[in-house]
Amino acid sequence: MAEETRDQGAENATATTEAGTAGATGEATGSPDTRRVKIIGIVCNWCSYAGADTAGVGRFKQPANLRLVRVPCTGRIDPLFALKAFEKGADGVLISGCHPGDCHYSEGNYYARRKFELMERMIHHLGIPQERFKWTWVSASEGARWQQVVTDFVAGVESLGPRQGRAL
Amino acid sequence: MSREEHIREFATAALAEGRVDYFIGWQQGYNSSEVIPVFIRDAAEVEQLVWNPLCHHNLVTFLKRNMPDPPDAKIGVCVKGCDSRTLVALLQEELVDKDKLYVVGVPCDGIVDRRKLEKEFAAEMVAIEFPERGKVVVTTRLGETQEFAQDAVLLDVCRLCRYPNPVYADDTAGPLETEPDRKHTQPDWTDIADYENFSDDDKQAVLEQIYSTCIRCFACINVCPVCYCWDRCVNRSRQPELVSQKVGAKENLLFQMIHMMHVAGRCPSCGACDRACPVEIPLYLLHRKMNKEIYDMFGFEPGTSLDEKPVFQTFRIEDEFGD
Repeated sequence: MAEETRDQGAENATATTEAGTAGATGEATGSPDTRRVKIIGIVCNWCSYAGADTAGVGRFKQPANLRLVRVPCTGRIDPLFALKAFEKGADGVLISGCHPGDCHYSEGNYYARRKFELMERMIHHLGIPQERFKWTWVSASEGARWQQVVTDFVAGVESLGPRQGRAL
Repeated sequence: MSREEHIREFATAALAEGRVDYFIGWQQGYNSSEVIPVFIRDAAEVEQLVWNPLCHHNLVTFLKRNMPDPPDAKIGVCVKGCDSRTLVALLQEELVDKDKLYVVGVPCDGIVDRRKLEKEFAAEMVAIEFPERGKVVVTTRLGETQEFAQDAVLLDVCRLCRYPNPVYADDTAGPLETEPDRKHTQPDWTDIADYENFSDDDKQAVLEQIYSTCIRCFACINVCPVCYCWDRCVNRSRQPELVSQKVGAKENLLFQMIHMMHVAGRCPSCGACDRACPVEIPLYLLHRKMNKEIYDMFGFEPGTSLDEKPVFQTFRIEDEFGD
């Protein structure tokens, strides 16, 4: 891959354990590519970022492949951020925010979910497999749910291994 | 009276009465095989206006932001069915002033794809004539002529067109074309079906091949009637940088996806970008797919009703997306 995603994880709120590295060797697909998968998480400040924090404080074990980008609201997330991440060499993109109805700014996530839904469908149209892109809702108190979401998503991406993207 | 005569009559009346400062239509190019846009400022010049199945230009592009000259000009404009949908998309966003427009709707029976003729017949065409409805007679520089059925050389977007008549017009040039029964038929997306059935790897390979030829000339963006940021286009921005200066299939596809996502919900697939592309990139693979998914998600066809708002500028609490 031409581009390496730079580590933005200096202020990583996730509980960083090395648990995720063992499965990232590409053994599942028999691929010789043994790099660890890199996943960009774009989360809203008020719910999912705090949810990730809750998971960390609660010492829930979760893979360390995820680098979080904190934005004020899911309504701020341009779906193109996900494409940019893929272009720059991310192996997966996870977007998360407040549950519908709980938006700190009342309605940001109502707009956002329409955009994400279209983006998800377009990403598959570009030949990026379903497992590599996910958007969901995690609230500030749902540390256990955050652990679940991250673990499942990372496992899905790891089963595909690092991306060999040819066009995006 | 032919549609062409109707257009000239409407243009003469509007210019003579001072209802418009200028009238935008189509005129013959260097020879009768080509048609180019024309700006008529004098009622004496209306004889230049033509209408035939070569008038592919979407003239609504000349109404978008920063294009009218002077900025508050009253403009007369000719629109086909697809063009009128882009105009409605602009009106939905209140980006053009309805009161400063005089819209002549031209019912359209399909536009001839000049590139198809070039590929199938000859590169140097000096005349394309339409002796009767549905017939196209092409003459080359060497004097050869060949007749085509119009249906066989139509643009791909015209083959699947659901709106042959303008959805918004002040005056209509001649009788309407027969409308498809839209209430009972779903849009036809067969043109992208082949690509959609590819595997993920094949899609990437196809896209890599297609987009490695893109020269990022901005023709698709400049010609797009609903894409109007001009110099503030995020594609040109270096800070923040979304598209890098590097040249490659990835950057080019991202460049194009930015255009697509920014016109999502407003692009009615008029196909102006496909025709403007100098390297013939099949952009319809992206914008047709986008419109397919928007239709699937919201049952929404962009630019068909003045009362609606583009779907991504509004929301419903009852929307059922995500888990």
